[in-house]
Amino acid sequence: MTKDILCDSGVLISLTAGCLDNVLHFFAEKNNMRFVIPPSVEYETVTRPMSSNLRKHLFSAIRIKDAIHDGIVVVVDAKVEDEANRMMNSANNLFYIKGKPFRLIQFGESEMLALALELGIENILIDERTTRMLIEAPFKLKEHLEEEFQINVMVNKNSFRDLTSKISQLKVIRSSELIMLAYEQGYFKNFENMQKDALAAALFKMKYSGCSISYDEINSYLSTVR
Amino acid sequence: MDILRHLIPYISKIVSAFKKRDQRALRKLNDEVMKATAVDCEQVCFDVVVYSYVLSKIVSKPRLLGPEFRSALISIEHVLDRIEDAIESGNKEEALGLFFELQKAIGRLEERDPRFVIGLVTKGKLKMAATLYAQGISLGVAADITGLEKQEILDYAGETMMFDRLKDEKSIAERMKIARKLLSD
Repeated sequence: MTKDILCDSGVLISLTAGCLDNVLHFFAEKNNMRFVIPPSVEYETVTRPMSSNLRKHLFSAIRIKDAIHDGIVVVVDAKVEDEANRMMNSANNLFYIKGKPFRLIQFGESEMLALALELGIENILIDERTTRMLIEAPFKLKEHLEEEFQINVMVNKNSFRDLTSKISQLKVIRSSELIMLAYEQGYFKNFENMQKDALAAALFKMKYSGCSISYDEINSYLSTVR
Repeated sequence: MDILRHLIPYISKIVSAFKKRDQRALRKLNDEVMKATAVDCEQVCFDVVVYSYVLSKIVSKPRLLGPEFRSALISIEHVLDRIEDAIESGNKEEALGLFFELQKAIGRLEERDPRFVIGLVTKGKLKMAATLYAQGISLGVAADITGLEKQEILDYAGETMMFDRLKDEKSIAERMKIARKLLSD
């Protein structure tokens, strides 16, 4: 049986930019995992860079296109536009600053969430911090906004209930955890006595590529592995 | 309209500081306008923030202040005067169009002596996008507002301490428990 995991554009970008996208192939072969993306993620990570000749991002785009061609990354077009719009509206009416709703997320991000619900996929791979916090800790996000803007943030209870009832059961994994899991499954064994060094280097590479992980988290995990 | 009224004192000072080639004043104004307008989420505010930063960068580069760049700098000043007028008269659409003209005028300044793959305006937008993302706006919204690729913003954000400043709700051990479950289910 295949195990589906929904994937955001940031994860694909970070993995390909770090030349670590073979991790996707590794899990597909070893654990029968499929990495599902909506068409908007394919457009953003493959079609647009290639059609607009965004030279800096072409190699990443080609690698993702190759993974789609190999069936490792699967594009699923479900009709989730209405639900995605509803979720985007709830998220963008969740917090009020100075009496005005605060725009938190855009359609591509709510489409990911709506697709997860529609396909019944519980696990989502996401490196983007705001959407992750919206799922895992919306009140922490509120506190963060208050600290950043030095202002009271009001919560719209209806939007909060509507959103959390839909997304709070989702399980979020970042690309960094995927790399850690790959290490535990022997992905780095070809590096022999440098396996742990390779893991550390890969994790720092993911961090510098924009994965929302802290140095403390990386060091905390590295301290637990031999 | 309200938002433009809010911007008037800043834009006047920005234009004046640029004409005096006062980099410190421009950087200070960039910080002030960023703080004052961050929660408004209005394109015209973002433009004022981005270009106050870009103008400070121009003024900080002695090579761009030489006589061969004089006409390009004067063109920038002319566009700035028109932006100030548009903001003072409450014409948001005109101001937004003029910021696009300002981008072209700055591009003409840079094309005489190109040094980097990305221009000053893109650099300013990147800084702005990464700041918005760090403040709590999503990556997608930051990309929408600035018109930049997510990958560019991620690269920039990855080199900041934004992910270290906010303590995570879950420990890495808890996160790995979830990840391992993915294989055992």
